[in-house]
Amino acid sequence: MNRRIFLRRMAIGLGSGAAGWLLNACGSPALPPSPTLAPTATARPELPYLVVARGATEPEELVKRALAALGGIERFVKPGHDVIIKPNISVGYYGYQYAATTNPWVVAALVRLCKGAGARRVRVMDFPFGGLAEEAYTRTDIKGQTLAAGGEMEVMSSLKFTKLELPKGRDLRSCTVYGDILKADVVIDVPIAKQHSLAQLSCGMKNLMGIMIERQAMHFNIGQRTADLASGIPIALTVVDAVRILRDNGPTGGNLNDVQKIDTIIASADVVAADSYAATLLGLRPNDVAYIKAAVAMGLGRSDLAVMKIEEIKVGG
Amino acid sequence: MAASKLSTVMTPKRWKMVRKGVQYVALGAFFVLFIASRRGGWAAEVVNAPMRLDPLGMLANLLASRTPLAGSALALVIVLLTLVFGRAWCGWLCPLGTVLDIFTPQRKLQPIFKEPARLRSIKYALLLITVIAALFTNLTLLIFDPLTILFRTLTVAVWPAIDRILSAVETALYNAPLLQDPINAFDKVARPALLPDTPLYYRDAALFAAFFIGLIALNWLAARFWCRYLCPLGGLLGLFSKVSLVRREVVASACTGCDACARLCPTGTIQLGKNGASDPSECTMCLECLRACPRGGETFKPVLKPAKLQPYDPSRRQVLASIGAAAVGVGVLRSETAARRDDAHLIRPPGARENDLSAKCIRCGECMRACPTGALQPALFEAGLEGVWTPVLLPRIGYCDYSCNACGQVCPVAAIPPQTLDDKRLTVIGKAYINTNRCIAWADHRDCIVCEEMCPLPEKAITLVESADSPVKLPVVNRERCIGCGICEYKCPLNQAAIQVYAIGQSPS
Repeated sequence: MNRRIFLRRMAIGLGSGAAGWLLNACGSPALPPSPTLAPTATARPELPYLVVARGATEPEELVKRALAALGGIERFVKPGHDVIIKPNISVGYYGYQYAATTNPWVVAALVRLCKGAGARRVRVMDFPFGGLAEEAYTRTDIKGQTLAAGGEMEVMSSLKFTKLELPKGRDLRSCTVYGDILKADVVIDVPIAKQHSLAQLSCGMKNLMGIMIERQAMHFNIGQRTADLASGIPIALTVVDAVRILRDNGPTGGNLNDVQKIDTIIASADVVAADSYAATLLGLRPNDVAYIKAAVAMGLGRSDLAVMKIEEIKVGG
Repeated sequence: MAASKLSTVMTPKRWKMVRKGVQYVALGAFFVLFIASRRGGWAAEVVNAPMRLDPLGMLANLLASRTPLAGSALALVIVLLTLVFGRAWCGWLCPLGTVLDIFTPQRKLQPIFKEPARLRSIKYALLLITVIAALFTNLTLLIFDPLTILFRTLTVAVWPAIDRILSAVETALYNAPLLQDPINAFDKVARPALLPDTPLYYRDAALFAAFFIGLIALNWLAARFWCRYLCPLGGLLGLFSKVSLVRREVVASACTGCDACARLCPTGTIQLGKNGASDPSECTMCLECLRACPRGGETFKPVLKPAKLQPYDPSRRQVLASIGAAAVGVGVLRSETAARRDDAHLIRPPGARENDLSAKCIRCGECMRACPTGALQPALFEAGLEGVWTPVLLPRIGYCDYSCNACGQVCPVAAIPPQTLDDKRLTVIGKAYINTNRCIAWADHRDCIVCEEMCPLPEKAITLVESADSPVKLPVVNRERCIGCGICEYKCPLNQAAIQVYAIGQSPS
């Protein structure tokens, strides 16, 4: 390589870099439209608002039955849709038996249902706060079951994080979230119900912290800020994994004595309702959980379990 | 005869091609193994093989630790190679040597200064002091081992820099919508297999880069300046080469004293006006001279007598001086001011014990490369000058991942003992203490439970207590349980963490 070639290549490099900036400058960086909660939640009065499936059977069966009662996955996923499933893979320390992460067969069941409904692509992802994502995916077996079901695991790329304005937010007005969550046709929130020392309960709305950057800042006002975050994320469907629940030492877990197997799946189009029901499984009232209270006050969803149309299904023996 | 047939097939030009091929393959292999040394890469005993091939590192480790390691027997391969082919390691295999070859200015093979022969004895002095210091359980000078230099520099400076540059380019180009899909596709292949998901930071990366650039820059004074004059491993192999079997010889009847070979020799061991004579201890068997001789007077053939001593070979006086220098040097390093072993934040990798580490660690940096969070950093002075560039865990840069035992697995000399994940999870590397004057909950009475939330232990070592004096729950550390992994310090939202891990026995209270 002589000087001339070097300079030429340099010019090409700089030129393409500049072109990148230029292209950016032309199309004004479109902020993602601020989404609202899926209106499907209230649109189908003939269907149950929330379904609870129980039974000492395969988790996959519980998921199928719960979704069927909720009106079928087709209510949410249309052919050709790009679906993101967001389980809780907060740490990569243990296998699923420790109930620190979502049950892999619950995730796989949803992947299969979405694929069956004609989804173009089904991605499963989270951003663990302890350990490497790819390792957490493997150790929790969520990767194994997801791939077997025909889904993809995605390690969140730092390039895809984008600023999200939260016009409805009362304390948190903007944050940085994983852009694909906003672009996907359908987002399915699949938390596991866990004890959490500050929030009381880690569930559907709390699970959304896995897609944002500014997690540490949430704790100063975790109730309101979690609800603020939820106001900006378009969750079409929430499926709470309560096959096993973590009653203490959450959200990291590690002690099987803290794990209780209750073989339960909760499904609703309303994440607030799903979290409210999950709260009762940990012996809490919905109003004990600050983010549920805040979300209801903001009109994001319902926590009035007493008057809600709930269908309870007993599966198996 | 087979030999003559070989010489007709293997023209000088072809020999050079073969040598260059071998060099690039060896450098490539070193590089691939470097890449694969990350957590989640290849098996530890595969990726750390280059370090175990290194006779200097293994010899010094053996002398200092007094513990024979099965894996270090691999170094005998290179010793054997040297006993047969002289310093062929340097000319054909050494990855640092190849890097230096790549950065050799074409017309500057010979020194631009009048070469004092004794310059060559520096490498022997360095070798002798290294080996003798090792007898005093000191391995500090292994920072000058060529394999550790290259691996450490790649880990601390080169790879993070490449990652940073690439990330900057990606981020800039990502603004163009058309380019997003290709960039995502590239990232899917490249991360985390080649580059980290999240950028890694290493302290003093500039220092390591400067050292390395300096080493390369010496090539402008003389080709392979490092290998000729300084490299202690080259010195060790040079001593073996005194009795190596296959050597360069000049057929006296063919030599006209034209010095063509001397002008082309990259190590300058063929001196002008010496009728092509060379020293096997300095010859890297690169075969460049084959090409030079107009009359084909060079041969490489078995010779069964020890090579002639050279003025720059270590003399008795030099050996004695080296012993003295090593003894005084080690003494000085361990004297009061330098041997500061009481640094409160000198947290070592899991299982590594302080005295063990300084007598075993060859400063290769494999553990720093393997550490998935970048927590392991090269010590500068916190372990004393003697412990320079040994691994130290800095929780503010990274934490010890509860599901990782990579450093102990990958360490080629068991300075960090290999542990099962279950054992490592029980290994205490420090203890966390909360500064209640700064803690958000304690001092400001605002909700913050990040440290408690992050604590990975099955029975959390950080619990929250209610207090009549405080409207919010307050985190407290249960010292019995704490293993010092440092994720609490890493994640503390304050700019300087209010919870900090202290080395064992270094509690602030």
